[in-house]
Amino acid sequence: MKRSTGNRLIPAVIVRTLKEQPVIIALIAVFVLFSILFPDRFLSFLNFKTILRQFITLTLFAIGPSIVVVTGSLDLSYVGIWMLGGILVWLCMPVFGLLSIFVILLLGVTTGFVIGVIQTKAKIPSFILTLSLLVTYWGLTALLSGGYPRPVRGYGFITTRLIPYIPTTLLWSIPIIAAAIFIMKCTKIGTYLYAIGSNEEGAQLAGINVDKYKILAFTLSGLFTGIGSMILFQHLGGSTPVELNLNTVVWPLVAIVLGGTPLMGGSGGPQRTILGAFTFCVFYRGVYISPLHPYSVQLLVGLLLIVSIIVSARGLKSVTIT
Amino acid sequence: MDDSLLAVKGVSKTFGGVVHALDDISLAARRNEIVGIVGENGAGKSTLMKILVGVYPPDKGELYHKGEKVPFPRDPKEAAKRGISIVYQEKGVIPWLKVYQFLFLGHEDKYVKFSKLQTDKMKKQAADILEELHVKCDAEVFMHELPLSTQKMVEIARAILSVRLESGEDGTTPIIILDEPTGPLNDEERRELFSDLLEMKKNASFFFISHIIPEVREFTDRVHVLRDGKLVANYDFSEEKIEEEDLFRAIVGRESSEYISKVEIKGLASKTVALTAKDLTKKGHYYDITFDLHEGECVGIFGPAGSGKSQIIRTIAGIMSFEKGELVVNGQKLKASELPYVRLKKGIGYFSGETGKELFLNWPILKNISFVNMQKILGKFMPVINFNAERKMAQRIVQLLRIRTPSVNTDCYSLSGGNKQKVSVGKWVERKPDILLLDDPTIGIDVGAREDIYEVLSEMKKSGICMILVSDDPKEYSILCDRIMFVMDGRIQKVLSPDEFRKVVGI
Repeated sequence: MKRSTGNRLIPAVIVRTLKEQPVIIALIAVFVLFSILFPDRFLSFLNFKTILRQFITLTLFAIGPSIVVVTGSLDLSYVGIWMLGGILVWLCMPVFGLLSIFVILLLGVTTGFVIGVIQTKAKIPSFILTLSLLVTYWGLTALLSGGYPRPVRGYGFITTRLIPYIPTTLLWSIPIIAAAIFIMKCTKIGTYLYAIGSNEEGAQLAGINVDKYKILAFTLSGLFTGIGSMILFQHLGGSTPVELNLNTVVWPLVAIVLGGTPLMGGSGGPQRTILGAFTFCVFYRGVYISPLHPYSVQLLVGLLLIVSIIVSARGLKSVTIT
Repeated sequence: MDDSLLAVKGVSKTFGGVVHALDDISLAARRNEIVGIVGENGAGKSTLMKILVGVYPPDKGELYHKGEKVPFPRDPKEAAKRGISIVYQEKGVIPWLKVYQFLFLGHEDKYVKFSKLQTDKMKKQAADILEELHVKCDAEVFMHELPLSTQKMVEIARAILSVRLESGEDGTTPIIILDEPTGPLNDEERRELFSDLLEMKKNASFFFISHIIPEVREFTDRVHVLRDGKLVANYDFSEEKIEEEDLFRAIVGRESSEYISKVEIKGLASKTVALTAKDLTKKGHYYDITFDLHEGECVGIFGPAGSGKSQIIRTIAGIMSFEKGELVVNGQKLKASELPYVRLKKGIGYFSGETGKELFLNWPILKNISFVNMQKILGKFMPVINFNAERKMAQRIVQLLRIRTPSVNTDCYSLSGGNKQKVSVGKWVERKPDILLLDDPTIGIDVGAREDIYEVLSEMKKSGICMILVSDDPKEYSILCDRIMFVMDGRIQKVLSPDEFRKVVGI
């Protein structure tokens, strides 16, 4: 194959990858920018450690919803599952002991399934549905906890350091991420979910049970959120936050969209969400250590979300499922 | 044409410089007359009307109003000043407005006094105009409370009113364009609408767009037939007697293309019945459809657009439900409403030539082929896709159908129309359903690609797969079908052999 000399400097594979995943360019740009601006504080061990910690948290929250986004819907219930799950663990503790942690998993799966059923049968926008559910769960959490954080102890073993310098949550999250990517890439389920997001009518006509697979997508999302919340339970303090923090709702969304999964669905998926989450954490830490006013972080995150939505929507046509 | 109220001469319009939407059209409307404009979908009816109301500018042509040459309007408001207004096919009604609010929608600024709407004046005027035009309804009920035919009448009244308000003088006779007004109506409502229209003729002229031949013949004074952007026939019902068949032939009769199929795939039908339809009925769409489909046979459902043919095939596919009757596949009775995936399990595959519907354009070819054939490429022990098998399957289809593409990983949106269609067919070739429904399988593709698709379909037929065809192209029926059911107004009129069929449509 003959190529111009300009292209030979950069292998075709890299050019292709960058074209399909512009977020890599953004990542490099952000990284270089902050390294030059704040060489001491940005390029420090402590900073990298913080980035990694945030990255894991964000990824575990974003991986489930990114499956739903692939089908062209939206699932915001993750924070609700995490909050309500925490208080349910506290409630179950006296009866089930350490096994109580699995109540989060159960809650996640049930929530996902119920959302899926309501969404497909009542045909209401998933954004509003899951947002309402999030608020409902928040209210329920506050009610059950009586308005106080309820610390639960005893799950420290989940995050006990096994290998020096490597957070155990990272070790946990690797098989989870791998499983999510595997489902989306290598199974019938994943293929059908991409099909629904890409062209729902076409999927219907080709003889796919669209409703069933949509419910499955939400259930998977709940499952992954449940597993993630279990891992992060002790890591995030082992108690339930009573106040809803908007950041925890918005950040996973930014990670998904920034990674290159368009909100219309049909392409992207968990493997991209990892990249998006990482880029976001680098960006966030960079802005955080800069002398900018703390509130400007929110402003920039908001702008970043808007820009990445536009970019991912425009890129929809030229993007393959990779 | 001195007595003409509105006349267009030599109007042409192309889209993107390639597609001739309209080619040298000249026609006119006289005072107090209903002029029918008929033609199939895509014949150019709507484009012509949109030019008249200023939605599109024409490439060429002249417009005459009362014998004077005037420029074409640039927007609907300007069109209304010249007396032209349109009632669109659907979505024209705003259900939660009251009748008088709807009538004056867009003209409120004429009824503002000290920035307050003079609702009393509006209500009174609305009542007056409704009475004048013989629309029997109260001005203060909500639109959605009215029966459909009355809603249409209010829409027409609104069109007439907007002409009066815009032109500023009552002397201008309004010319109202009705774009398939009878679509959602049942027989009785249709008759009601027409009797009202005949009354309204005293105050206005109408362009009546439709593809329902009997109503055009009954209610219009003259009719123009459009086909592929050309004016192919004019009939004046006051001067000559026109049969439905004449109109029908004018509408569908295409110029015979040079294409002669080498493929001969008839006469393969066996005696085994694969599908039986008995008295299938869905009110407003089709009635008492009864037929058998044998293994290896292809049955065509032929008729003009709007005859119910697409509804019948969509019902069998599971996209629509039927109300009465029976549908039996391989001895199994089907439920009236089942989704396509249930039908596919029972062996019915649906293929539509509209690639936008069928294909996942942002997917590579191999995914588009594999996703209805998942069972074949999943591993034996784990439900995991065998990517090697997936690629091989796609490569086999690409070769078989001569799809021109650099690789099976190429995304479908970059393929040409014909190749896209082949990918669409390809997935069914691999899947091999018992019954394949073909809904316009070769729409908009070139001769070579067609030939390839026909060849593959013939191979499928030989292997015993039976098919039902619905198409816009009469030629396709004569190539593919063993029997052709002629459907009009939702009923099977005749069952024809391919030879008889050729005689009827004149190819």
